Amino acid sequence: MVLAIQAKNLKIGYMDEEEQITWATRGVDLSVEEGESFCIVGESGCGKSTLASAIAGVLPPHALTMGKLYIFNQLVINESERNYNGIRGKVVSLIPQNPGTSLNPFLTIGDHFYYILRDVKGLSKSDSIKIAQEYLSKVGLGKDVLEKYPHKLSGGMQQRVLIAIALASEVKIIVADEPTSSIDANLRAQILNLLSKLVKEFKVTLLLVTHDLASASKICDRIAVMYAGKVIETGLTSSIISKPRHPYTRMLLDSVPLLGSKKSLNPLPGEPPSLVEDFTWCSFRDRCPFRIEQCSVEPPLIPVEDEPHLVRCWRFREVS
Amino acid sequence: MTLPSLYSRIMRRNLRRTRFKIGVALTTIIVILSIIAPLIAPYPSEGYGYVPANASERKLLPPSTQFPFGTDALGRDLFSRVLTGTRTAVIQAVSVILISLLVGMIIGVCAAYFKGLIEVTLNYFTELFMAVPSIVIALFLRLTIGQGLHVVIISLVIAWWAWYSRIAYVYAKSIVELEYVTLAKLSGLSALKIIPRHVIRNIFQALTVQAISDLGSALLEASAINFMGLGLPPGSPEWGVILYEAITERGIEAFLFSPWLVVFPGLFIFMTTLGFSLIADPLREDLDPRLRRRWKLWF
Amino acid sequence: MPVSLNYIFKRTMLSILVILGVIVFSYLLLMLTPGDPAVKWAGNPRGPGAVKAIELARVELGLDKPLYVQIANFIYNFLTGNLGLSIAYKIPVSQVVISGFTATLELILFTYLFSIPLGVWLGLYSAIKRGSRIDSFIQSLSIVLASTPTFWLGSLILLASNTFTGFLPYGRVSSKLVLSTGFTPITGFYLLDSLIQGNIPVFIDALVRIIPPALAISVYPIGVLARVTRTLIAEALLEDYVRAAVAWGIKRETIIRQFVLRSIIPPVIQISGLSFVYSLVDAMVVETVVFGREGLGSILLDSLHKADFRVTLALAVYLTAFYIIVNTLVDIVQATIDPRIRL
Repeated sequence: MVLAIQAKNLKIGYMDEEEQITWATRGVDLSVEEGESFCIVGESGCGKSTLASAIAGVLPPHALTMGKLYIFNQLVINESERNYNGIRGKVVSLIPQNPGTSLNPFLTIGDHFYYILRDVKGLSKSDSIKIAQEYLSKVGLGKDVLEKYPHKLSGGMQQRVLIAIALASEVKIIVADEPTSSIDANLRAQILNLLSKLVKEFKVTLLLVTHDLASASKICDRIAVMYAGKVIETGLTSSIISKPRHPYTRMLLDSVPLLGSKKSLNPLPGEPPSLVEDFTWCSFRDRCPFRIEQCSVEPPLIPVEDEPHLVRCWRFREVS
Repeated sequence: MTLPSLYSRIMRRNLRRTRFKIGVALTTIIVILSIIAPLIAPYPSEGYGYVPANASERKLLPPSTQFPFGTDALGRDLFSRVLTGTRTAVIQAVSVILISLLVGMIIGVCAAYFKGLIEVTLNYFTELFMAVPSIVIALFLRLTIGQGLHVVIISLVIAWWAWYSRIAYVYAKSIVELEYVTLAKLSGLSALKIIPRHVIRNIFQALTVQAISDLGSALLEASAINFMGLGLPPGSPEWGVILYEAITERGIEAFLFSPWLVVFPGLFIFMTTLGFSLIADPLREDLDPRLRRRWKLWF
Repeated sequence: MPVSLNYIFKRTMLSILVILGVIVFSYLLLMLTPGDPAVKWAGNPRGPGAVKAIELARVELGLDKPLYVQIANFIYNFLTGNLGLSIAYKIPVSQVVISGFTATLELILFTYLFSIPLGVWLGLYSAIKRGSRIDSFIQSLSIVLASTPTFWLGSLILLASNTFTGFLPYGRVSSKLVLSTGFTPITGFYLLDSLIQGNIPVFIDALVRIIPPALAISVYPIGVLARVTRTLIAEALLEDYVRAAVAWGIKRETIIRQFVLRSIIPPVIQISGLSFVYSLVDAMVVETVVFGREGLGSILLDSLHKADFRVTLALAVYLTAFYIIVNTLVDIVQATIDPRIRL
């Protein structure tokens, strides 16, 4: 199996004016295989969007990096060095978070396709328009959209355009950063199903970043749960949903409704820790009902028996 | 935010920047000079435009140790005149900006707070006065009330308040629509309490930064009006007037033979304006929190 | 764009109202300030013809009619440009004002022709090189430029030109050359007129004489545009759509040209418009007092010294109207080219 994305102890922080660093990810280890749909789940502030930006190659200039990140064996983050040559738009593309602000208001949809396909593939205007039409029809939009400016489209249509754009340059990986967060609830499932269908059709690796475990579980093969800048549990979707090994994952599952199950909902109590200072204890310790003495040392990712399932908890056996 | 804490925050953040330091230094020098100028000017009465008794012996002398900036066509010591002009410059710039800011802020905030006819009327007058160039007003005042410092200040205020009114209106409009202002209104608080407490306090910082960055332009326009002969009468201790006497009254050829008459007062205008601008520039960037981040062309 | 017609209409109506307001305002000034308005309107005449001139002015202003008729009459006269003869120049006031406008406008347009591109380019270059030495140099330069008194700089340029080349760029064009080549102004823009007539010597002479004052006036727009452009680009670089464009693999040049520069065009037009009207005052001062060119400035000073009240008033009103028209045009152009504004 070829690894599409591989992160090794990846740390990403942001420095503010007082030279204080907030670490958004504090050492992420992750591997995503080619062709799979992989999902990163976590609440806001857990570092999932930062991780998505790192993979898509759009970390802001004031971000600091440590560790390594490989995309198809090309080293894109090597400690503080970042080199995305030949990656952006060619190997990885992005479906950004806010469709409303992510399309250039001064360009028509057709121009978006043209500039992307010209710069990435060297296509002419007429060829790119042909390809644009093809992909727009895949997402259920007519060619009249090409002539329009972004603000003339509804939020759902903008999101479909973004999916078509990400697919059009025939990348191998698509990073979707909370693609449904700003869309009406009744459209979310529709958009996610469309995305899931298309990535399978074009055999694209999907990295979906979301806070919504329920929708992630429907379209993803594997899930990684992030908490306070680290991956705390990763495994096949089915095993994460049916047998969560980390107390945080369990709380997360308890707080969202799953279709068909008649469980009671429990909101998440407590707050994640501040990420300004470094700490050595388990980041979930203060909220954890299972905490013991040993939790003052942060556990590594521990493999769970014979499954492809890793969990960062000393007491994972008791949790499940 | 209170003024002292705003002040200390500005100082802490910006004193590392060289440009800001130069601006603070220049402005401090000018302000100190404006206070002590009559004390250190070698010929204080000439600074105020009085022609000395031995004028005929010392007309248009080039700079020397006795007259560091040379003398003018009436034999007055240019150094004393320029130095004395510092006070006028500071008074002109500061009073124009302060009065304009005050008037503009009140009118802009009122337009945003009281809706309906008041809003429409005040905005109409704002639009009207934004359109009138200061030089036109100076011209009118010159025709009707004559010359003097008040003419310069009034004509600039008439031309400038509308800009602050517009800015205050735009900022206040967004604040007036916030829920807590509505709540304050519903709870029966009077406009006299809500406006200073909730509206003005929130737009004050943006307006102050704008005002500081306009100090330089106010001085430039004031001296341009004086330079045209529309403001202060000849002999006044003002840099624009000194330049007016050097060029407008005597023609350009005269200036070619005695360039010091132009170089020194102009240099003082330039330095003062530069000092104000150097202070204002980083403040403006501070206003936009997104720009404080170290952005750059990163792709 | 049919949707924006409503906005254009509203904006134009407001401007017309403002212009009418200015005319009424100037009429009130004429009436309410001390002295007999007819005497002022006649230009404080003395001597044998004085009584007759004042009588004529009284009829012209319609002072015997009710106030609203006077104001309507006054407005009508301004709108039709029918303001009688100038006392100082003995030609119609409108002609005096128009000749001044074309001269000053030529200077400002010439200045802005190179100032806007140069200022924008400096701002762009400094933004691209953010944090480098060249960036901090351009930033300092733009502050210094915008802080320079233009009339002072103009004098220094004149002095330098006289000292180093022996040439004094005084006036709009050499009168000797005009006589010897038979140059006759058509539009009042000498550069344009001489080109139309194929009069190359006059063109070169006019060009050489327009460059020094243009340089002096250009410091303000260049400085302001450089600074504003840099800030605008900083803001544009933080936009979500720039981030997305990077992720989609669009090249740097394309992003700068199509994403960043496109988004700063509307605000740049607005700033240029604002600084254009600011430069009008600069130009009036510099052209007249320093470079001895005819134009609005010289007419203004002349009318003041010769108590030519009509010209002064006409100048004030038309100058203000010009301000308003430029601002209105800028607003409309800006709104029309920005697809985000749904009017």
